[in-house]
Amino acid sequence: MDLSLFKDPIFLAQNLVDGLSRGALYGVYAIGFTLIFGVLDILNLAHAATFMWCAFAGYIAMAELGLPLPLGLAAAMLAGAAIALLLELLAFRPLRREGADKLSAMISSIGASLILVSLAEAAFGAQTRRFPNSVLDPKPHFMGGTGGVRISNAQILILAASVVLMVAMGLFIRRTRMGKAIRAVAANQKAARLLGIDVNGVIVVTFLVAGALAGAAGILVALLTNNIVPGMGSQIELRGLAVVILGGMGNIEGAVLGGFILGLVETFTIAYVPGGSDIKDAIAFFILFIILLVKPNGIMGKQKADRA
Amino acid sequence: MKRTLLIMAISVAAIGGIQAAPLPATIKVGSAESLTGDNASYGVSIRHGIELGIEETNASGFLGSSKFQLVIYDDKADKQEGISVFNKLINDDKVVTIIGPTLSGTAFACIPVAQKAGVPVIGTSLTAVGITAMGNYVFRDSLPQAAVIPGTLAAVAAKYKPKKAALLFQADQEYSKSEADVYKAALAKAGIELVASESYSKGDADFRTQLSKLAAKKPDIFVFCSLIGEAIPVLQQAREIGITAPILGGNGFNNPNVIKNGKEAAEGLIVGASWFVDSKNPKSRAFVASYTKKYGSSPDQFAVQGYTAVQILATAIKNAGSVDRAAIRDSLTKIKGLDTALGTFSFDENRDPVHPSMPITVKGGKYALFE
Repeated sequence: MDLSLFKDPIFLAQNLVDGLSRGALYGVYAIGFTLIFGVLDILNLAHAATFMWCAFAGYIAMAELGLPLPLGLAAAMLAGAAIALLLELLAFRPLRREGADKLSAMISSIGASLILVSLAEAAFGAQTRRFPNSVLDPKPHFMGGTGGVRISNAQILILAASVVLMVAMGLFIRRTRMGKAIRAVAANQKAARLLGIDVNGVIVVTFLVAGALAGAAGILVALLTNNIVPGMGSQIELRGLAVVILGGMGNIEGAVLGGFILGLVETFTIAYVPGGSDIKDAIAFFILFIILLVKPNGIMGKQKADRA
Repeated sequence: MKRTLLIMAISVAAIGGIQAAPLPATIKVGSAESLTGDNASYGVSIRHGIELGIEETNASGFLGSSKFQLVIYDDKADKQEGISVFNKLINDDKVVTIIGPTLSGTAFACIPVAQKAGVPVIGTSLTAVGITAMGNYVFRDSLPQAAVIPGTLAAVAAKYKPKKAALLFQADQEYSKSEADVYKAALAKAGIELVASESYSKGDADFRTQLSKLAAKKPDIFVFCSLIGEAIPVLQQAREIGITAPILGGNGFNNPNVIKNGKEAAEGLIVGASWFVDSKNPKSRAFVASYTKKYGSSPDQFAVQGYTAVQILATAIKNAGSVDRAAIRDSLTKIKGLDTALGTFSFDENRDPVHPSMPITVKGGKYALFE
């Protein structure tokens, strides 16, 4: 075991930066995922495929049409909202109408995910793509001179975006009328309908927001990893689920917090544990397991979107 | 007298007929390649090479009036799928030989099926240690890692005289692990100290932590053993964190996508190649021209290996005068000094290929010989 690594404060700070950025990505992805679960009690397993398509939408907007980053991000979020809406209309609503149970909805989402990924493979082929350098300068900044901690523009953007989105989502859920309506539907769909809330409309808005969040996550991940492929959802999918469970299903702040925890654990395992890169998944999920033993409903408890 | 003549005539005709037993009109050649997924760039490339090879063989009448017919399935880079596809090719389609699969990992699972059934297999992209050891029906025209790496390392060492090296590989992938082991042995033999070794697993996309750990030890050269899906992000992230020392890529980097999508990050990369698109070999030049005309893009090493596999198979069948699987196998072992696009080609006693290899580097956005 190389003890010299533990004494190096720059290395520690670097891992904090890398770990928090990694975690922020998981968090942004997880917010959209947990929102749908919180409101509808369904695990939308097509969230990863939506996320992947948004990365491609961003690629088309920025690499092929030459649009700048803000427009590319907007394009991705719009694409995400559109795909999520399609999912609601085609994969979920018909089942809800028939009174099918939540498990059917999850299976339907798996099917939708397979279709989306196959379509992407057919449309884009298997080679990896990345955004052009003009989108975001990949040259990293070294804080305190060249020996210092390195942070890239992508990482800064990701950290900022995750905080902004978390705050925005929190305000949206707690302070706006639509937010209240979402909480009502999350608490009890039938009661909400009796109170005159347009439940289907609220669900549509939920999906649009979740889809837009998937879009943002897609662009951010693509900026950080430079690896846009049809299979890019598969890795984040499991981690997103883990993060959502860790943070408490349906809890937005929990999702972000869970994301940071997972990101930090993964990074620190690779950095400090000998052979860490091989066992980082085992360690991350082991820690998840321990946390769940202590808090079975996740860190923030089973506070669905209805408990402000 | 007339009766004797008649009997003699019939006998001669009969003997003549037996000796000139023709090959069947259609000879089915099977192939299992990764046509979808991350490794499709290799699989599709091989497929194109095979198809061009078959087209040219059929058009030239090399096998008389017999024509090759390709039966190809997607192995999805998955072991189960590989086994299933091999079974289909052997039992349902009854092919005479199988070309493939694409990845060594898949191969270790499905080639034993062919070996057991007595069906020859020619690998065109399998470089891991132990492939041909699976049995005497297993051949490959892709130079194994153990053949290419020492030569590449020697060339790099001669130019840069490195003392320390760092290694990054994919721990849960047979090809990458095998290549990493071969590199470790080659580095030790060359007297270069391996100061750091890190790995990643399937699906990882952020390698910065591992790369930082490697860079912290200040090696003189870096060695990356990655498949194409990770190769490009690894290169880009390495450049991003400020690695400027020479980077040696494994066989997975022998893919034009590295240049196309890696762009500036690929500049200066060194790879040990079994072939190089600007090779002056006349058969290679002809192949490059036909391939580019047919597919609109230049071929890579995998395409030429697929193409050459067809030539090798056709030669073996013609020499054997039969499409019996065992006869083809025996004929394949006898291939020596064949003039191919890969150079002068022979199988050694382990059914591994023997032909010249060359280290190449990326200079000015193109592959060039490394000197």
